[in-house]
Amino acid sequence: MFAENWKISLRQIRRLLILDLFGMSSLMLPGIFTSLTGADGIFCLLLGMAAGAVLLWLMGKNLKHIKTDYYSYMKETAGQFLGDVCMVFYFLYFVTLCGYVLYQLTTLALSWLLPDGSWMEVGLLLLLLAVYGSIRGIEGRARVYEIIFWFLGIPLLLMLVFAMGDVRTAYWTPIVTSDGVQFVQGSLAVLVFLLPMTVLLFLKPFCQKPEKITSSGTVALWTVILMNVLIYLILLGIFGTNAMGVLKRPVITLMGMVKLPGGFFTRQDVLMTAVWVFALFALLNTGIFQSTLILQNLSQKPGNRWSLWLVAVLTFILGKSFFEHSFLIEIFKSYQVFVALPGMFFILVLLLLLHQIRTGRTLQKGGDF
Amino acid sequence: MAIQITPDLQENIRNFEELFSDCEDIKKRKIKVGEHLGQECYIAYIEVSLSSVDWKDSAVGKFLGKLRTLPEEELAGYVKNNVEDISDADPFGTIEDAAQGMLTGDVLFFLDGYNKALKIPDKGYPGRGVYETESEKIIRGSNEGFSESIKLNTALIRKRLRSPHVKVKESFAGKRTNTNVDLVYLKDLIHPEMLEEIEKRLSEFEIDGTLDSGIIEQLTEKRKYSPFPQFQTTQRPDRAAMAILEGRIVLLSDNSPVALIFPATYNTFIQTSDDYYSRWEIASFTRALRYLASFLAMVFPGLYLAMTNFHTQILPTDLLLSLAASRQGVPFPAMVEVILMEIAFELLREAGVRLPGANGNTIGIVGGLIIGQAAVDANIVSPIVVIVVALTALCSFAVPNEEFATAFRILKFMFIFLCGGMGFLGFLAGLLVVLIHLSHLESFGIPYLAPFVGADLNGYQDERDTFLRLPLSFLKKRPVYTREGARVRLRLKQEKKK
Repeated sequence: MFAENWKISLRQIRRLLILDLFGMSSLMLPGIFTSLTGADGIFCLLLGMAAGAVLLWLMGKNLKHIKTDYYSYMKETAGQFLGDVCMVFYFLYFVTLCGYVLYQLTTLALSWLLPDGSWMEVGLLLLLLAVYGSIRGIEGRARVYEIIFWFLGIPLLLMLVFAMGDVRTAYWTPIVTSDGVQFVQGSLAVLVFLLPMTVLLFLKPFCQKPEKITSSGTVALWTVILMNVLIYLILLGIFGTNAMGVLKRPVITLMGMVKLPGGFFTRQDVLMTAVWVFALFALLNTGIFQSTLILQNLSQKPGNRWSLWLVAVLTFILGKSFFEHSFLIEIFKSYQVFVALPGMFFILVLLLLLHQIRTGRTLQKGGDF
Repeated sequence: MAIQITPDLQENIRNFEELFSDCEDIKKRKIKVGEHLGQECYIAYIEVSLSSVDWKDSAVGKFLGKLRTLPEEELAGYVKNNVEDISDADPFGTIEDAAQGMLTGDVLFFLDGYNKALKIPDKGYPGRGVYETESEKIIRGSNEGFSESIKLNTALIRKRLRSPHVKVKESFAGKRTNTNVDLVYLKDLIHPEMLEEIEKRLSEFEIDGTLDSGIIEQLTEKRKYSPFPQFQTTQRPDRAAMAILEGRIVLLSDNSPVALIFPATYNTFIQTSDDYYSRWEIASFTRALRYLASFLAMVFPGLYLAMTNFHTQILPTDLLLSLAASRQGVPFPAMVEVILMEIAFELLREAGVRLPGANGNTIGIVGGLIIGQAAVDANIVSPIVVIVVALTALCSFAVPNEEFATAFRILKFMFIFLCGGMGFLGFLAGLLVVLIHLSHLESFGIPYLAPFVGADLNGYQDERDTFLRLPLSFLKKRPVYTREGARVRLRLKQEKKK
């Protein structure tokens, strides 16, 4: 009948992607911009979005050629070996992302919700929850985020509206003060936080209307960037560049400062942390699901559970390592900027070129259109 | 091997009485019929299932009276040609089938020279008749409730849905109880796969007896470890009829006043009959209230613990001081206090349910007022905890379906432990567990969280009847449970003209 057909709607994909992209970007980008570009962060966001649109365009071009799934398409286009290499690349990207998200999520929970808790216990709890979320496939996962989307979105928008009253537009200036390198670095940071949208490439077989899957990505990209622009303008207008520089997670601090009419709740930061806990959890869930799927594809054993547990163990080890050794975070950031980011573009361009060459050859041989 | 009924009455009597030896409640009588009383017949029935001792007014009595006016040689022919065809009497070819027929509460009739046994319906088993339902009270609408008789229950549905498309499919469950199980549905509305699925599930078990629909419910549920019911239960014929109109299927079991409706979703458990009888504003308000109640019934004590033990900064200082003052002198930690009160409340509820009506009410008053006040006076619990527990109980009572509300009552304890141990993080973790579980749950192929999820399946129409119940003129399409192509529920005449 309807359920358990492993198909999800465009609305589900859109909401899932928005949460995936929004959590990390809104939590981390304001801090990054403060140290790099100041008020020019807005332009970084816009340039990052443009680059994200290019990435999405490349994905869309490839998605058109995917007949069954992305792995098969890679094998058909680039051959078995290159296809496997690409899959390993994607696996490494998603599994390291899982580790980093688990680290961020646990740290967030410990900082704002349970200061006396231990990383081990909280991290394990969140990881097990993510595994539980992934264990039953994509449908259940998509439904969770479809249903909580507005429960998170409406309070967040309301809080932002209430915060607007305290914004001082003078803090939005001066602009165009950062040099080119800082500007590019800021834009690259935006693009790095948009990379999880490559998950769309793998979602085509699960989509009810696969021909429109790229449009979901476009809506998600626009929504996330607009939300980030709004949040950054409010943060900048309230804290200013200097004050924001000392805040670890300015957006959550902002939530604690907003005065709600009626004044029943004195501080909402704890309550509003739920938005980022759920958003980061969504990304963790996506990463685990995706890594497991890639591992199952590579091992040619679809549906086996050991892949999931292997990914879970790797995620936990990575997350704990990020927590204990801060230099690993720097390595992870470099990996994201210098390996993952160009790698994503390279694979997509390479696949497109190879596909063009193959199609050209087929036409020359007089094959079918 | 089944014993065939023969034209030899004595042989049939011997076989039948052998089967029902030592059954004093079964009355067996030989009666002379024919105009000269020259032929013998034999009737058997359960003592109380015949309406009149002298049979003057009963269907059986009238039938026997007619047989006494006919010549002996025409009796068998008369029965065969007339009675079999024109009345609702069922003929049986074997002793076992005939016995089973009699055990449904009808009278069994054997005639010398006739190779079948006739089941003639009469008063049947004693039953309560149609009474007002004890649960699922509504403000507006019919107060008729289902009874223990499956025939009466199907008739109550049929009374509301006078359409030849309403089908009643009968089967039997229970090796020894042979309980009638009826599936009632509108043939042109249901997804045929759902009917096939329930029939498959019903055929997948053999059990000695099914004394209530609850047994069938548990044996045919797919996710047995879920606290959430996957069948909706109702004692109201109008609710069942409404569900059938939505393309859902109703399962009735004999001896049970509780009908099972499937597929069931979170949304259907929150709906009540009078949601559709009242104006949309009040229906929407109460609907939203019930949604809130279902959530608070699960999380309220947990949230109280999280806010007072972990995140006191959320609350205004005055409130916080007031809470702290109310807890002064209480020897237990807040979590123990909440658990004690919750257990005390569950005990009161259980005691109130088991005691006869008037005593049950007394227990509620004694428990709620006197024990609660005494516990506060003795500094065993703080007044605020009494308020929290009482409000939680109110919320669980506001959920219209008892089985559904029970799921929240159980999960409430999970939230108490999680929030008591981890504060708001525990709350979020608990919420995720419940959400993930519910998002995986389905009832006969329909996601449990529909139409909040998968609303696109019906063009986002089903969302008009969720938190808010939009005006009836907006609810033009049946929900997703109905097969595609048969989803038009309402067509306004003006629209038709256009």
